Amino acid sequence: MFLSGLVGWALWWSEVDLGALLSSGPRFAEFFSRLVPPDWSATRLVVHSTIETLMIAIAGTALAVVVALPLGFLAASNVSPPWVSQPMRWLLGMLRSIPLIIVALLCVSAVGLGPFPGMLAIAFHSVGMLSKFFAEEFETADEGILAAVRGTGATWGQTLRYGLFPQSVPQVVAFSVYRLEMNFRDAAVLGLVGAGGIGYYIQLYVRGFQYEKVAVLLLVIIVVVTLLDQLSFWVRRWVR
Amino acid sequence: MSVIVDGPAPSQESMVHLECIHVLFDRTLALDLESLEIGAGERVFILGHSGSGKTTLSRLIKGRLRPSTGEVRVLGVDPAARESGARRAIQRRIAMIDQEFHLVPRLSVVSNVLHGCLGRVSPWKSLFGWYPVAEWEKAEEVLEEVGLEGLGHRRVETLSGGQRQRVVFARALMQEADVILADEPVSALDPELAEDALELLVECVSRRGVTLLVNLHQPEVAKRFASRLVGLANGGLVYDGHPEGFTDEDAELVYRGYRRDSARRRKRDDRVAKSLEAKASHPDLRLVVP
Repeated sequence: MFLSGLVGWALWWSEVDLGALLSSGPRFAEFFSRLVPPDWSATRLVVHSTIETLMIAIAGTALAVVVALPLGFLAASNVSPPWVSQPMRWLLGMLRSIPLIIVALLCVSAVGLGPFPGMLAIAFHSVGMLSKFFAEEFETADEGILAAVRGTGATWGQTLRYGLFPQSVPQVVAFSVYRLEMNFRDAAVLGLVGAGGIGYYIQLYVRGFQYEKVAVLLLVIIVVVTLLDQLSFWVRRWVR
Repeated sequence: MSVIVDGPAPSQESMVHLECIHVLFDRTLALDLESLEIGAGERVFILGHSGSGKTTLSRLIKGRLRPSTGEVRVLGVDPAARESGARRAIQRRIAMIDQEFHLVPRLSVVSNVLHGCLGRVSPWKSLFGWYPVAEWEKAEEVLEEVGLEGLGHRRVETLSGGQRQRVVFARALMQEADVILADEPVSALDPELAEDALELLVECVSRRGVTLLVNLHQPEVAKRFASRLVGLANGGLVYDGHPEGFTDEDAELVYRGYRRDSARRRKRDDRVAKSLEAKASHPDLRLVVP
């Protein structure tokens, strides 16, 4: 009851207009019809910028994983005292709540245009989610194993390295690859704010009504996303 | 029938010292020991029904639990010391073999065994997976000693229960501790395997002349390997002495007594709980509730 009211209010707020949607048919149709034939002259440029986007995603994800692992340890309540893990969780929640586009704009104004601010923004934005996932995974670790490793006289660091981490490796890898997939799609729009990659051409071609080139863009993105999906499947099967 | 093994004779040097121990869970008195003294090289088997306080005793000695009142000393040091450096130093001296094996299943046998030396290698280098060559060699030797030579590279999760058991022994031996605690170490194995495994453990431990404390259910098996038997019932000491002197009446006391005494036991628990609560305002006294 309350829920349907809320959804209705949300639809009204979003100015849902069925008439506009129905009458938009021809325009969508026109858009799709103009996608063919693709203009392959753009291929070189598109592939190059797609690789740049992919590299932004890979570098950003790698940096994020390196930062998120220690933060994840600190946020895990089974290996860190509550006066560390609790504030850590609040901090990570704050990181997660900042939209990527704002982070990207800040990074561009801080370090200038190009792929570098894009990578920074991707890394910053991923840390919040990855740390939370890692911390939750660490908290499922077998307490008996931790006690056994600690009981050999191991330090806190050694207990994490040899007791906690080996238990969590498969999930840490799975989350990281999943985040890489997400980061590629996120990085694809970063070019809109001048942070490098394919996004610049998306807005250039769409706004310029060069739909034949947009078709090439879409094809390349679909291919890369599919490949990433396969990759993450293989990696997860490989790391058990 | 006792196992003949070479090794230094038991000395009078005190390894484990407990005094005036009360361990209270909620209002139940899990352990009530006036004093218990265990010397170097002794092989003490602790008998008792489940719930008799065996596990609580080994957790006290390992320092995983602080007594509600009383004093625990291993090698003269509090095993549950609050200062982390001191605690690590004493933890190294006490190896624990748990009922569940608590190995890291994804890691290789030799990695799990090498965990035993974490307390004595460089904490920073070991974070990058580096162990001294001497430790690798030691790990190989220990694996050979427990009959797992050639299996070092195998993942623990691919081993059988009996083999995992021996990996746990190897990890404990690798630690080169002065006291080895084993809480129902062979209860996961079937009876014949269990006795063989226990024999292996006792042999390896005796070769090193290390103090051994084993919690066990079966008095007959314990008598075969022990140099001293301790019987617990309802958290209290009902037998402490030579295994030869452990009679059927003693066994009766250890294994049957708990039923007859349950009403008296509740009364006693309440009395102790009250007196402890009265003292609980004292800042040094903390009631342990797990």
